Amino acid sequence: MRLHVFIVAVFCCGFVDSRKIRGISSSYKRFYKEKKSFLCIDGSKIIPFEQVNDDYCDCEDGSDEPGTSACPRGRFYCTNLGFRPHYIPSSRVNDGICDCCDASDEYNSHARCQNTCWNLGQQERAYVEGQMRTLDEGLQLKQQLIEEGVLLWREKQAQLRDLQQVAEDLQIKLEEHRRRKHEADRLKEQTLKALEAGDSDLKRQNGTVSSTFKLLDSNKDGSITVEEVQARVTLVHDEERILSEDEAVALLGGGHQMDLFKFQHMLWDILTRGDKVKIKDTHSAAGGLVGEDPHLQAADRAAEWEATNLKKVEEAYDTVNTEISDLQKLLTIDYGPDWEFLFLNSQCYKLKVYEYTYTLCPFNQVTQKSSAGTEVSLGKWGMWAGTPKDQYSQMVYENGEPCWQGGSRSTTVTLTCGTETALRSVKEPSKCQYIMDFQTPVACQPVLKQRGIHSEL
Amino acid sequence: MFLGWLLSWCCGWLCALVGHWLWTRATLRPVTRVPSASDTICFFEISATDVHSISNRRQRALKPGESPYRALLETMELTKTRLTLQLTNDNNKVRLLLELYRLQGNMTRVKINELKPLKPRYEVPDVLIREPPTEPLSLLSQDENGVVLSLGVESQRVIVSARPFRLDIMEGREVLMSLNSRGLLAFEHLRMRKDTVYIALNLCQCSLFACQKAKEEEEEKEEEGMWEETFKSHSDGKPNGPSAISLDFSWPGVEHVYGIPEHADTLRLKTTDNGDPYRLYNLDVFQYELYNPMALYGAVPVMLAHSAQRTTGIFWLNAAETWVDISSNTAGKTVFGKMLDYVQGSSEIPQTDVRWISESGIIDVFIMLGPTPKDIFSQYASLTGTQSFPPLAALAYHQCRWNYNDQEDVQTVDAGFDEHDIPYDFIWLDIEHTDGKRYFTWDQHKFATPKDMLQGLMDKKRKVQMKDEPVTQLQIHNEIRSRGFYIKNKDGGDYEGWCWPGSAGYPDFTRADMRDWWASQFAYDQYEGSMENLYTWNDMNEPSVFNGPEVTMHKDAVHGEWEHRDVHNMYGFYVQMATAEGLIQRSGGVERPFVLTRAFFAGSQRYGAVWTGDNAAEWDHLKISIPMCLSLGLVGISFCGADVGGFFKTPSTELLVRWYQTGAYQPFFRAHAHLDTPRREPWLFGPENTALIREAVRQRYTLLPYWYQQFYNTHHTGEPVMRPLWVEYPQDPATFALDDEFLIGRDLLVHPVTEEGARGVTAYLPGKDEVWFDVHTFQKHNGAQNLYIPVTMSSIPVFQRGGSIIPRKLRVRRSSTCMEHDPYTLHVALNLQRAAVGELYIDDGHTFNYDKKEFIYRRLTFANNILSSVNLAPDAQFSTRSWIERIVILGASKPSKVTLKTPDGQESQVEFDFDASMSVLTLRKPGMNAGLDWTIALQ
Repeated sequence: MRLHVFIVAVFCCGFVDSRKIRGISSSYKRFYKEKKSFLCIDGSKIIPFEQVNDDYCDCEDGSDEPGTSACPRGRFYCTNLGFRPHYIPSSRVNDGICDCCDASDEYNSHARCQNTCWNLGQQERAYVEGQMRTLDEGLQLKQQLIEEGVLLWREKQAQLRDLQQVAEDLQIKLEEHRRRKHEADRLKEQTLKALEAGDSDLKRQNGTVSSTFKLLDSNKDGSITVEEVQARVTLVHDEERILSEDEAVALLGGGHQMDLFKFQHMLWDILTRGDKVKIKDTHSAAGGLVGEDPHLQAADRAAEWEATNLKKVEEAYDTVNTEISDLQKLLTIDYGPDWEFLFLNSQCYKLKVYEYTYTLCPFNQVTQKSSAGTEVSLGKWGMWAGTPKDQYSQMVYENGEPCWQGGSRSTTVTLTCGTETALRSVKEPSKCQYIMDFQTPVACQPVLKQRGIHSEL
Repeated sequence: MFLGWLLSWCCGWLCALVGHWLWTRATLRPVTRVPSASDTICFFEISATDVHSISNRRQRALKPGESPYRALLETMELTKTRLTLQLTNDNNKVRLLLELYRLQGNMTRVKINELKPLKPRYEVPDVLIREPPTEPLSLLSQDENGVVLSLGVESQRVIVSARPFRLDIMEGREVLMSLNSRGLLAFEHLRMRKDTVYIALNLCQCSLFACQKAKEEEEEKEEEGMWEETFKSHSDGKPNGPSAISLDFSWPGVEHVYGIPEHADTLRLKTTDNGDPYRLYNLDVFQYELYNPMALYGAVPVMLAHSAQRTTGIFWLNAAETWVDISSNTAGKTVFGKMLDYVQGSSEIPQTDVRWISESGIIDVFIMLGPTPKDIFSQYASLTGTQSFPPLAALAYHQCRWNYNDQEDVQTVDAGFDEHDIPYDFIWLDIEHTDGKRYFTWDQHKFATPKDMLQGLMDKKRKVQMKDEPVTQLQIHNEIRSRGFYIKNKDGGDYEGWCWPGSAGYPDFTRADMRDWWASQFAYDQYEGSMENLYTWNDMNEPSVFNGPEVTMHKDAVHGEWEHRDVHNMYGFYVQMATAEGLIQRSGGVERPFVLTRAFFAGSQRYGAVWTGDNAAEWDHLKISIPMCLSLGLVGISFCGADVGGFFKTPSTELLVRWYQTGAYQPFFRAHAHLDTPRREPWLFGPENTALIREAVRQRYTLLPYWYQQFYNTHHTGEPVMRPLWVEYPQDPATFALDDEFLIGRDLLVHPVTEEGARGVTAYLPGKDEVWFDVHTFQKHNGAQNLYIPVTMSSIPVFQRGGSIIPRKLRVRRSSTCMEHDPYTLHVALNLQRAAVGELYIDDGHTFNYDKKEFIYRRLTFANNILSSVNLAPDAQFSTRSWIERIVILGASKPSKVTLKTPDGQESQVEFDFDASMSVLTLRKPGMNAGLDWTIALQ
């Protein structure tokens, strides 16, 4: 019954309205004051007033036919009591399709339009309320995120400063260590030279004869065998080749063994002449040689120690520098005026669409993983690409996996206001061009709230 | 190279043609086949120039008058309706039977078959709408040299010469056309296979010329390629052996020939002396080349010959692979040379000679004797029928893309059109809507609720076109298999090939029972999720077989008792026939179907529309869309269009806009795009370009009443909707080769801008005593002149002929259906005699009720300052809510008073507005119903 009354009320209003001028808003009524003639709103023509809404287009701007479909450029005002008023193109008047929720556009057609404004208004109000709640909540969350963002930003800045301090300290340390290593190397060099130049021949010879014998005598049984010669002695000109048994026997003076005495008088000479064969250049051999001298050993250890230390410091310095540059890179990204988008960094959001799982890692990359398991890059962080008014409404990720017919995959992410941060939809309208809808409280704008209030009746 | 192998493969069968009088291209000789294990074809290695020099050498060896065929006059039998006569080949003594009929409507039919073939040869069924009615022939004279028969009307005679056999059709002293005058009649008779060993010549190792000689000595012996051919890895076991046929035709006095689509070539056919012949073999061609005689998706073996005196035509009824060679004695002449001939009174009459060759079947030729272009259209229509009358919405704008991804995508695009106030009637879903590319199914995720989607579109009076292909898998596969409906391979198993669904079978659409079954699948209870606003699109029906030779079916596949070789070019015709029938049946015979097809044959016009296949986003492709559709229109297929924007590649914004502007004035107006290209819905290129595209589409919608009337007209007359200028100005040689402009019906001349960065176009306005009005500015121009028209991006040069009346609907709405009851605006363009005529056709726009005389058909006449509407179909009944809202008279003078008289005798004054600068008189809101008699008098 109430509905009935309501419909009657709407019809009455509609009737009153249309008896005057159909299809105009109250703000336009002043142009349509009943007179003898009507001036097209663009001033181009004067026509008799009866020709207003007479289903023939006289005015270039369509202003004489606000209530019919006669003018190609005309528009019809849906009053839509209970909902939102709006204009539709004149071509939608009496075309058999219900456009105005108050059914006012189909006043002379077969379409059976019902007044749905009340329901739509309800829905709209519920929707707007929901939106408002979302917005309120979103804005609160955003505020938190801004605060967190600021803190996070400061934290990152502090971290950067700390790292830079560490790097500076390391730099000083590094120089010190470089100096010390240099010193140790120099010392070692000196010791080695002194050792080579300053010692007596005999000492050197004895020392070296017996030590060389010991070196060759791998099994320490006091005699050198063919195998031992093969293992330790090599040709000067072909270090790779192993001596044959015959060659080894020849070096051992035709026998299969050789003691220290024989060695000193036969093989030692051949080895010291050094034009045919020599001791294999092994570390143990060298160590064996220098190992003899305690000074040299000490100098060598010192040099090694300094080298190790320097390496550690260098590594630490590199690590810190990488961290600094990573952090700097991260901090050069635009996270919004209040660093509110900063928290998205290092996060990833997933969404499954049909057989694919999409992953958005803001400020980093977008990927697509098929159920078969292959992962494809849909783009790496490019830039903000929103409207000039709100540049933070859209992100672009570029240079993903190349496409079959040239170009590479890219993704445009639209950020919308919501109480949660989540990936809402993914589409591929054109091959290799993806669009994502990404919801997050930080996309909530106070300005939206104002608009919301105004759009309510 | 691509062309090279195409040619080589297709010519393989020609190699089997016997005798030195045969095809003159050395490349086509059987000698070029290599019987080596590698199965290569040796002329792969030959460059084009080699081929031509040899072909020229062969050409010289060929002399006219050497036909080995002789007419045996003693075997002649003349009944009232036909003449029969045996022909004999003096070389092999094989006898042929010639049948000659005089057909009603000034046509002659010549049939040649083997007198006693080993087994029946294929004769094309289902293409002719009925057995053509005959007229009596009478014998005028006879002697040992030949026979003269009267062709009834107008002193027309046919002379049958006996030795060598030839036919000449005369009118008075003039020869209209000669058959076998160059002695190229050939008929490979069916023969028993001999178990002879092939002559194992490794031909690639000898020089080609030597091969040639060696082979000529073997002339009458067994030849390579007669019983088996190979192409790449495919082999064609030819169980019937060689079976090709050939015949030549000569047109004295003719320099212009047209038709034999589908080729991406100029409207006027070129001579083929220096290149490949025009090939007719339906193929799924990937990225086709332009200005090239290569075969494309469809084939209509009809050629028109035109001179200022007469138009004639040939319909070569054969569905096998066919080649057409054209030569002309004036082709090489320069303009100066021709002038010299003219001044000196050259003795040489221009002549065009053509030669048709088909791989199998019989010679069955319909000679259409005109004499006017319109006579030809009605003659051809009397044989194969006319363009089906489409639902009005099919003439509106179609939005297509491979692919609209899901229901939401469809809704978004649909809403985009409303948001940008661009009308459209059909949105098309390509293959991806299906479940695993299987037709008659829906993807359950992406199109979970197809009926909701269709209902949503129906609420806006819009429609959906869905693709299907003649390949099936799973869903209906088992049923087709159990019914034995598949095409078979040569070994008797079901033929299998690769197409979109993967490995698939190909239903045998040449079978009537198969077609009936297919049609039944469109019933609403069979095709789940379908509704009455869902229509169908036949793609890949050449048929396309991804892994077959030349991406089509093996010729030795089997259709009942016939080979695929025999029926190939008809396959797509049958698919569209069955689909259209399905759409008719699902509505209980009430609703007109709308089926788009890519492959076609003679007669396909009866079943729907054709588009020019997978074109590319290039300016030249935009240009070629005009001659391609003009050529189709000349052979009955009026409902033609090219993918707006180009299918492959991405158009520049300028090209896209120009293409919309051109497409808006071509019969089938559909934008389409390849899957790999970026989106190109009309609003994606900035507001300016959106406005340009919107304007082009709106122009189409305002002219829909005229388009609809043109289709009504072609449905009755066979005259092309989009027509070359020469059809209306057959005596003006300046029009004969024009293919950058065209007419829609008689009255609209369109010269679209198809040049990048164009600042102006030069349009030829025909007619010495005609005037033409620019439809946008109403400016008047004289006929018989080349008019330079400066253009901007918004320009679409279109002219209305003085003397015509064109109805329009200026209230452009969301879809054509929304405009059904809208009022008309009449554009009356006066000629120099201050007169004009036009028509107005109105019906419900979508049912067959027009067949039950439910329509309005009126003649509008302006003469002596009186405009009147007269009923042309007094026995028809239809009422319309539409009225006349405006009458715009172009070239008028200012009246003092305008009076409207309606049948009830009432008279009323009509307000008017006169623009003296352009001489345009606009009558304001006369208001009478469009279905009534009325007169308006200007005083």
